[in-house]
Amino acid sequence: MLLYINGGGIIMDIKQNKSQKINVTIDGKVCEATTDDTILRIARNNGIYIPTMCYLTKVEPIASCRMCVVEVEGIEGAILSCQSRTTDGAVINTKSKYIDKQRQNIMKLYNVNHPLECGVCDKSGECELQNKTLEFNVNAQSFTTKDMFRPVENWGFVSYDPALCIMCEKCVRVANEITGNEALQINTGGYKSRILNVKKDFNDSSLGESAAVCPVGALVSTNFKYTSKAWELDKIPATCAHCSSGCSLYYEVKNDKIYRVTNDFEFSSLCGAGRFGFDFANENVNKDTQAFTNAITAFKEADTIRFSAIITNEEALILQKFKEKYKYRLVCDEAYGYQTFLKAFGNVSGENLYNANLKSLSNSKGIIVLGSRINDDNPMVKYHITMASKRNSARVAYMHPIEDGNISNIVTQFIKYEVGSEEGVTALLANALLQNKELPGSLRDFLNDLDIGNISAESNVGEEELSMLMQSLDKKEGFTLVVGSDLYNHPRAVQIAKLIGAIQKYSDFDVLLVPPATNALGIALICTLDDEVGKYTIGYNAVGDFELSCLGNGDLDMPALNQQEGTLTTIDKRVAPTNVALSYNGYTLNDIANTLGLNAKYTIDYTSMLPSKSGFKVMDFDELPFNFDMVGVEHRGYLLSTKSIKNIDTFEEIDEIPTYDGAIIYRCNEANQFNMLTNRTKAFDQNEVCLKGSAQFANAAKVKDGDEISYVVDGIRYKRKFKLDSSLKGTIALHPNYDIRLSSALVSSYRFSHLTLEQ
Amino acid sequence: MHEEIIHTENKPKEKQNYVMLDLGKSPEFGLPAFKQVVKRSLNGELFVGLWVTLREMAKTLFMGGKHTTKYPMEKLPISPRYRAIHNMLRLLESGHYRCIGCGLCEKICISNCIAMDTRYDENQRKEVSEYTINFGRCIYCGYCAEVCPELAIVHGGRYETASEQRASFSLFDDMLTPIDMLKQQQEFQGFGSVSPNADAAIKKTPLAY
Repeated sequence: MLLYINGGGIIMDIKQNKSQKINVTIDGKVCEATTDDTILRIARNNGIYIPTMCYLTKVEPIASCRMCVVEVEGIEGAILSCQSRTTDGAVINTKSKYIDKQRQNIMKLYNVNHPLECGVCDKSGECELQNKTLEFNVNAQSFTTKDMFRPVENWGFVSYDPALCIMCEKCVRVANEITGNEALQINTGGYKSRILNVKKDFNDSSLGESAAVCPVGALVSTNFKYTSKAWELDKIPATCAHCSSGCSLYYEVKNDKIYRVTNDFEFSSLCGAGRFGFDFANENVNKDTQAFTNAITAFKEADTIRFSAIITNEEALILQKFKEKYKYRLVCDEAYGYQTFLKAFGNVSGENLYNANLKSLSNSKGIIVLGSRINDDNPMVKYHITMASKRNSARVAYMHPIEDGNISNIVTQFIKYEVGSEEGVTALLANALLQNKELPGSLRDFLNDLDIGNISAESNVGEEELSMLMQSLDKKEGFTLVVGSDLYNHPRAVQIAKLIGAIQKYSDFDVLLVPPATNALGIALICTLDDEVGKYTIGYNAVGDFELSCLGNGDLDMPALNQQEGTLTTIDKRVAPTNVALSYNGYTLNDIANTLGLNAKYTIDYTSMLPSKSGFKVMDFDELPFNFDMVGVEHRGYLLSTKSIKNIDTFEEIDEIPTYDGAIIYRCNEANQFNMLTNRTKAFDQNEVCLKGSAQFANAAKVKDGDEISYVVDGIRYKRKFKLDSSLKGTIALHPNYDIRLSSALVSSYRFSHLTLEQ
Repeated sequence: MHEEIIHTENKPKEKQNYVMLDLGKSPEFGLPAFKQVVKRSLNGELFVGLWVTLREMAKTLFMGGKHTTKYPMEKLPISPRYRAIHNMLRLLESGHYRCIGCGLCEKICISNCIAMDTRYDENQRKEVSEYTINFGRCIYCGYCAEVCPELAIVHGGRYETASEQRASFSLFDDMLTPIDMLKQQQEFQGFGSVSPNADAAIKKTPLAY
C-alpha cells in the first residue's frame, strides 16, 4: 500500500531457502541474525522496540497495520519490518521524524469514529489501541466519516462488536492457521469492512482463541463481558487440568472466584475447554474430622488404591510411597495401558520417552495420525497439525476406522482400516517407513516375513494407499507419527508399541505418543501400576469402597486441580507447575499421608523427590519458572530428560486380526469434553449425553433416532438416547463417557466394542 | 529593645524581635510587699472584667443575643466543597443513574473501600449490579469524586456517620438521589467538578453529518 515499496537488492523475497548468518545494524546496534529472520524479529531478539498493531508472533505476518515501518539506508521510502528479511550489512533505522509522523497518522486513522467507551469496555487497561493512542500522542479524533448502525453480535462463546473492530485480522488468522475452525472471514469494503462468522450455528468454543488475540474489545468472551475490569483480576499461573497437553494458562481471580482464563496469546494457544471450562473447583469444603478419621480407617483396611489420572505428580508420588510402605496395589485404569505401551516402546526404541513434541509437530512437513480421533482426543495436537498444514503445507495422513469431517481441511489422505486391525496396520506402516533403512536382523526378518497381502486384505489398508503416502512424503524432511489411545489398550498393545519403537529408532519419523489423560505420562513415570483391584479399594477420583473425590460427592472431599499446587507432566515431556487459584479448606492427600507415617509439610515438598531415574530433576517447586522470553521460548517448569534403555528387539508374529461386525461403539468424548471435570463446568454442562451414530449404524443396531437405549461397556451400564448424526458414516457410533462421574476413570479396555443392547 | 540574630546550623538566618517590659523592681519582703498586694487587689480593675460578663449575660438573656446552635435541631450550613458521605447522582433528563461502571473509583481508592460488580444487561449496556463503600475504611479523600468521568460519585454534606449499622450508608441505592428529588439534585462543587470555563474548553469531535 502507500508505505510499502519493494526495494531493490537489500530486501529479499520471503521464501528463501538456505539460512545464513548475517550482521545487521539496527538503530546503531549491531545485531547477529540469520537470513531467515525478519527485521522485526531481529529487533525484538535484541531488545529494540518497534511498535506493531497487527503482528502476532505465533502466526505468519499479517501486514495489515503498517505500524512496523522502518527505514533501510539506501532504499527509498519505508519498509514493513514484520515481513521483510534483510541481507548482511544492512543499516536499519526504526525511528525518524518521517516514520513517527506515519505512525501517528495510522493511529489517527484507527481512531476514526472509534466509540469513546473505554469507560465500560472490557479491554480498557489492556487495549493495544488505547496504549498506542497514548504512545503516539493522539489526543483528539481529528477525522471522521459517516457512521452506521453496527449492532453487537452474539456468537455464543464470544461476541463481536463491529464498531470497536480495527480490522487487524489477527482473529481470522488464528482461526485459519491455529485452531483450524475456519469460521472467520473478512468482509472487505473500506469503512464497512468487518469480520464475518461463517459458522455461526456451530458455536465453536475454539473461537475463544480468536477473542484472546483481539487487540481491542471487539471480540470478547460473552460470559465475561462487562463483569470485571482487567486490572481488578489477579493472574494465577497454572497448567490446564483437562488433557495431557497441559497448556499454560492464567486463572484470573477476584474475591475467590475465577472470572476468566487467559494465556500468553502471543506465543501459546488454548482450546475452548481450557479457556471456558474453569469452574470445576470443589467449593465450600471444610475440615470434616469424622470423614477424615473414616478415611484413615479405610486406608488401614484397604489393599488397593484406585485413582484417576487427574492428579499431580506429587500426589502420584505420595501414592507410590504408600505402595512401597504398605504394599497397596495401585490401579490407574487410564494410565496403565499407556505405561505398558511406553515400556514396550522403550525396549525397542532404546529410550524411555518418545522424541517428538508439539513444537516439532508444528514444524513437520509430513504427519501420520494413527489410532486417535485427534480433534476430540487432544485439540492442542490438532492445532499443531493445523499449523504444520497451513504453514508448511504438510502432508497429513489420518489413519482411523472413522472418518472425521471436522479435520477434513487439514487431512490430505484418509486411510481407513478395520476395527481391531491396528497391529496389522502398524506392521504395514513400519514396513513402508523402514523400507530402505538399515535394520537389525531380527526386525528385518520380521518385516520380510510379513504376509502383506493378507494383512492388507484383513485390515482393508491397500498397498497402493501406503505407497501413495510414501510418494507424497518423498523429498521432504521432518516427519512426525502421532499415536493415540486406540492403541494403548489394544489386546496386542505390546507388539504395536515395539513396532512404533522401531519406527522412532530406525525411520525418519519422530514419534508423539499422545498421553490418554491429564497426567497419564507423569503417573506412568512415577508409579508402578497394577492391573487388578483387590478386596477393599480406596478410590481417589475413581470408584471405590471408600471414595476421595474432588467432585464433592465422595466420602472425603479432595481439592480439584485448580485448588492445589503441584506439577503435571505434559505431552511436551514438560514438568509444569500449577498454582492455587481458589481457596480450599478441607483435607488433602498430604494430610492423609502425614497421618499414615509420611512426613511433609506441604504436598509440594515432594516436587524435588520425583524419581530422577525416570528423568525428573531435583528441583524445588518454588524454583520452577513460569514465563515466555522475548523470543517466545517457553520457560515453564523443566523438560524431562530422556533416559536410554537397553533395547531388546524381539517381535512376535502378527496375531490373527479379529473381526468386528455389526454395530460397534467407539469410546470418544466430543470436543470440549474430556472428563468428569469439564462436564461439571457451566460452559460445557450438558443435560443430555447421546450416543451418536449414522443411519447405517441405526440399521445395524436396530435403533431409531431418539430411542432410549441401555448397554454395558467395561462393566458400566449406560442409559443413553440414540441420536442420528448425518456427519458420520459406517457402523461405528461415538460413545461418550465423560458424564458418569467417578466411574469415568474406569476405562482400561480397547476403545472399540460391540454394542449389545439390553432390553 | 533587644535584637538578636540566631544562627543555627541548618536553618536560615532568622530575625527575632523581643521587647523587655520595664516594670521596675518588685518588693520582696515585709510591708512593701504587703502594700503592693493590697494595692493591686483593691484597684477595681477586677470589676471591669466582671462587668463585661454581666453585660453579655444580660444581652443573651433579655435581648436575644444568643449564639448557640441547637444541634442537632439546628445545623450550620457547610461549604459545597465539604467531603462527607458520598452521593450518587442521576442524569437530569432521563433520571437514570450516571454511573457507567468504569471501575476507576474502585481502582483509585487508596483505602480500598469501594467494591463493585457489573454485568452485561438486557439492553447490551453495562449495569452496576452491586456497589458498596465501606465507610469503616473510607478516609473521605475525594479521589473517587475527582476521578469519576461522569460526575456520578460525588461527596455530599452528610457528615453524621453514626448509625446502628454501617450498611445504612454503604449501598448504592442509599447514596443515589431519590427519583422524586431529582429536581433538587445539586451539582458538586468540590474535587472533580466541572471547571467554570468548561464549555469554552471543550474541543468538539468532528462529525460527518
